[in-house]
Amino acid sequence: MLKLENISFKADNKLILKEVSMEFEEGKKYAILGVNGAGKSTLGYIIMGLEDYKPTTGRILLDNEDITNLSIYERAKRGITLVFQEPPRFEGISVGAYLTLGGKIKIDRNELEQVLETVGLNPKLYIARKVNGSLSGGERKRVELASILVLKPRYAILDEPDSGIDIMSLEMVNNVLNYIASYGGTPIIITHREEMATNVDFAYHICNGIVLNKGDAISVIEEYKKECGICNHPNAPKQNEKSKEEVRKWV
Amino acid sequence: MGINITDEYKQIVDALEKNGYDASKYFDKRVASIIISGNRVIGLNNVPGVKLTPTQIENGVRVDMEIEEGVALPIPIHVCTGYVEKRGLQNVIFNIRIRKNAKVKFTAHCVFPQVEEFTHNAISNVIVEDGAVMEYADEHFHSDLGTINLRTITNAKVEKGGIYKNSFTLTKTRIGKLYVEMNLDLGESAIGELTSKVKGTKNDEIEIKETLNLNGERSRGIAKSTVVALDETKANIVNIAYGNAPYSYGHVECNEITKGNKVDVKTEPILKVVNDLSELTHEASIGRVNRRQLETLMAKGLTEEEATELIIKGILQ
Repeated sequence: MLKLENISFKADNKLILKEVSMEFEEGKKYAILGVNGAGKSTLGYIIMGLEDYKPTTGRILLDNEDITNLSIYERAKRGITLVFQEPPRFEGISVGAYLTLGGKIKIDRNELEQVLETVGLNPKLYIARKVNGSLSGGERKRVELASILVLKPRYAILDEPDSGIDIMSLEMVNNVLNYIASYGGTPIIITHREEMATNVDFAYHICNGIVLNKGDAISVIEEYKKECGICNHPNAPKQNEKSKEEVRKWV
Repeated sequence: MGINITDEYKQIVDALEKNGYDASKYFDKRVASIIISGNRVIGLNNVPGVKLTPTQIENGVRVDMEIEEGVALPIPIHVCTGYVEKRGLQNVIFNIRIRKNAKVKFTAHCVFPQVEEFTHNAISNVIVEDGAVMEYADEHFHSDLGTINLRTITNAKVEKGGIYKNSFTLTKTRIGKLYVEMNLDLGESAIGELTSKVKGTKNDEIEIKETLNLNGERSRGIAKSTVVALDETKANIVNIAYGNAPYSYGHVECNEITKGNKVDVKTEPILKVVNDLSELTHEASIGRVNRRQLETLMAKGLTEEEATELIIKGILQ
């Protein structure tokens, strides 16, 4: 079980997240839903332990172990990984070498081809391509998703996995979620598009750095569509007075 | 001296193979090749259309290389320069002429596996005639003592519609003290590319100067240096482009990756537009390994050291 307990985070004296608590049970699929600027990616970075993303207060527990002060590497070793919304490019490294981290991960050719197919890439065309500027943003994103499928992490945080990808992305994202779930892993999808969250077991809706709603995907998506679909201010939904008041207190 | 030609040959081959090369393919009879050890030629093979003519000079060898008009070589010419003694001086002069419409690639290896106090001076004078294509890939392997003093100067002239590519690579062993100078004159519609990739460790010293002279109308050239500077490496990179002709285009680029508090690196792009219809651009960067790249790899379970190593390995590919 991965738990966030009362996570708050300030950057440049501005509160980005306020007392966020979440639980991610192993083997289930999760979504963190929210409009741009709600604090979703920040939350992903905090879970992964990126530099400059240490929580101001609160703690992160993995199987009851406090991992709040662990490095990225130490968290990755415990089975947490993150796919960035815009993954960087790497000069001179082929897709095959990238997926196996330069040969560090031992994986047979069939499995390598299978993960590339899962993200919609033809292995024959891509395995020798370089992970550099010759790949489009969408291709790069697919390679990044394939790379975490090779790792088989316990918790995979996928930050806007569909961004930069064509209209077939929903099917591809679902393939990725199902692949992770197939070996007992826990995908956590961060998205502002409600249709991306339809295939999860549990969803959190965050707005302006607080959890506005949580529950099964259908009910959270319904509420998200109602509140955020008509919201003039993307970070202050008008329909939920209680939450809005709560938001006002610290904005 | 006490070393015979067979021993020298074997030592050079061993050093190449130690660095991951299948040397046998370079010493095939179908491959035009020349093997220099010290001030002697210990192997020479000409194939139709290729004339390699060596002459012994003081402390070294001069080789006149000529590729006949219209010849397209299917296999690169292999040029291997070695030095198997521990101390000394080696001078090498290559005069290369690629006749009209010929197409040729060179694979060059400079192998100095056990030198302690050694100076290697190399001068290449290259002429690529009209419509000819030449690629020259030069890779160096030095001893791990870092006490070699290497100076290599290339002066290349590419005539109308010709293509010339030159790469210098020194990434697998210590460098020592290095001076690389490449001067490229491009004629009408000629294309040129100068590339250097080096990795400095400990107290290596690197100086690279690449110059593009865009003399011909619609000529195009790129000069690109990639330097990884670790530990106490000193590096000074100067990339220059002169836009002397209308509709010529030149780009210079230098990327220096640093790691270590004592590295001392500098890059200087110089662009001079002489003809106002010429276009010149540059890019330069100096800095540590990109943070986002590191974090991406560390999030997959690599340590910072392992991630840095993989990134640098890729950059130097």
